[in-house]
Amino acid sequence: MKITKTAFKYSLTVVITLLTAYNSFAGGFPIRPGRLILSPSVSYFFADKQWDSTGVKKPFDDNGKFTSISMSLYAEYGISRRFSVVALVPYVINNYKETNYNQTFSGLTDLETGIKYYLANINYIYYFALQGTAITPMYKNPATGPQLGYGEEGAELKLSFAGSGNVFNRSYYFNVDNGVRQYFGTDGPIQDRYNATFGITLDTKFKEQLSASFGGFYTESNFKAYNKYNPILTKDFAFNQVSLSYGHAFSKVLSLFLTGGQFISGRNTGDGTSASISFVYRVGN
Amino acid sequence: MAHSLFADTSQQVSTVLIAGNKTATFNDKAEYSYEVKNPTDNPQVGIVSYQVFTETGKKLNAEVIKVNIPKKSSGKYDFEIAEPNAGFYKVNFMVNVSDYDDTTRRAFGIRPEELRSNHAMPADFVQFWKETRAELDNVKPQFKVTLLPDSTKDHRNVYLFEMKSLDGLTVRGYLTEPITKNKNKKFAVLLGLPGYQVSLPPMFGTDPDLAIITLNVRGQGNSRDVIHTMRDAYIFYHIEDKDKYVMRGAIMDCIRAVDFIYSRPELKHDCIMASGGSMGGFLSIATSALDKRIALCSAQNPIMSDISNLQGEVNWPLNDISRYVKSRPGLTMDKVMQNLSYYDTKNFASLLTCPTLLGIGMLDPIVPPNNAYIDYNNMTTKKHIIIFRDLGHEVGVPYKAYEGRWMRDTFGLF
Repeated sequence: MKITKTAFKYSLTVVITLLTAYNSFAGGFPIRPGRLILSPSVSYFFADKQWDSTGVKKPFDDNGKFTSISMSLYAEYGISRRFSVVALVPYVINNYKETNYNQTFSGLTDLETGIKYYLANINYIYYFALQGTAITPMYKNPATGPQLGYGEEGAELKLSFAGSGNVFNRSYYFNVDNGVRQYFGTDGPIQDRYNATFGITLDTKFKEQLSASFGGFYTESNFKAYNKYNPILTKDFAFNQVSLSYGHAFSKVLSLFLTGGQFISGRNTGDGTSASISFVYRVGN
Repeated sequence: MAHSLFADTSQQVSTVLIAGNKTATFNDKAEYSYEVKNPTDNPQVGIVSYQVFTETGKKLNAEVIKVNIPKKSSGKYDFEIAEPNAGFYKVNFMVNVSDYDDTTRRAFGIRPEELRSNHAMPADFVQFWKETRAELDNVKPQFKVTLLPDSTKDHRNVYLFEMKSLDGLTVRGYLTEPITKNKNKKFAVLLGLPGYQVSLPPMFGTDPDLAIITLNVRGQGNSRDVIHTMRDAYIFYHIEDKDKYVMRGAIMDCIRAVDFIYSRPELKHDCIMASGGSMGGFLSIATSALDKRIALCSAQNPIMSDISNLQGEVNWPLNDISRYVKSRPGLTMDKVMQNLSYYDTKNFASLLTCPTLLGIGMLDPIVPPNNAYIDYNNMTTKKHIIIFRDLGHEVGVPYKAYEGRWMRDTFGLF
């Protein structure tokens, strides 16, 4: 008989596997069970202007300048297909300087430990994740003198949505997070922390990528004052910032990210500019 | 004056046919939009029509519209085709105008989720395969693995493996594994199963997490030591005896390949996906139904689907089988169909417990959508179907892309 050639020639085509564009640890994407992601980073933050409580921007008084150098280690470990554990250990060196005033203080700040749950996907392209995080101060604020943070325990619930695909012959990814954080002190602020990132590869081998982010905090507290000497203690504030990041993958296990950011609007906060360098190292599997 | 070898098609009448949805499956009325483009300087006068057929070719609904399409314009005609009964239907759209005649062949489905076979699974189906599996278990596999250094490429090692299977036959295949310095690395496994009389070579790919096994079941590729039929004869080899039919051994060869996977410490035993098209689709479903060690089943255009209802719908394989029956005194088609009920894809489908992906072509001339959809409806496991409304005995790239994403997600290979 003369069956069509197709029927006989029907062969096996190799499975097309997803080559992920995302090299970072974007929150919405699940992490492979047994894989550990380590990301050490150093950030520099600078502000010499501020937005007041009405959102009007003005220079700090008396040539004031706030700088902060933050060193942190982020870790995420996949314990199963659905669950991963996350941790962030930050260490900061803060300085506020103005005419006749110069104060520097440093130390470990708020430890973040959490668990992330891979909620669902759409067509195995778009992913949803829910993360619960505990905030634990790794310091004791002195009664007087510089303080490294609110000194309050806190908790955060964050929903993330991420996806990847192709556009203009390039791979892209996006990630959108929104987290609500509550500090449990007397005037412990409640915060809405949001971020949206879009990244695109610059080559077909996923070696180079660029990403742009928009994010910010909206935080409320009965304690309304702005602390110009130590802005991180301000509890009632808001800001939006944009950032641009370049990523380079040295290999499948090691990537580098260089990021620059700029605050674009705010209330009761400094007008910050930031730069950071971070590495992402994948261990296991 | 210069003459072109080819006519300028941009100046010819042409048609565009668009189904009402991506899968051309509807609740009670198929919807189509048929556009006739007339870029010529002549008005086009004539008819636009459609004719619906059952999968066996019986004429059903039809409609004829008189058209007059002015020069350099187009006419668009919307059709609603009501069919009361669940099932898949063939439909031809035709245009016959002054300067152009054309027919576009398509198919559509009406409530396919209601389709059921009118042939039951044999009462001893499960027992039959349990006993067959016990026979296989009595054959020592005697796995032999040979590295093929000359075939190694794309950063993957290639191994030829051979093993003893049902009735002591030797079957062979290839294993490709990514080369890694990580001695503890374990690979998920794609078990690639062959189409009809296809000789599968080693398969490479680019996935660093995936080992790929391509298996040549008995009588195919490099496993033709004992069974080496003519191409057409393979489908009816020993079909007169359900205990000796070639597919019985072929399915057991696939299960032996799972035994082989289990013998390899570098392979993840809980991350095995069986995948194949046509006969490979049949083998994927049959093997996954009988061997619960398979975690995912991916079958494209599986043959032998609701085989008792193929008569009149397709030529192959029934015409070859019928020819064989006529050459064997005392053998009847009824007897063969009774034997084939132990090899019907729909019966295996009902035993599946692993998540299963099925791909079908609505214009498939070998596995009609009516039959393939019955496989799908028989599945009680987690399942997903991808319908290609304009394809025949094949699936499109979106199937393979989905399959890859699905496998990686299920196996946690993020």
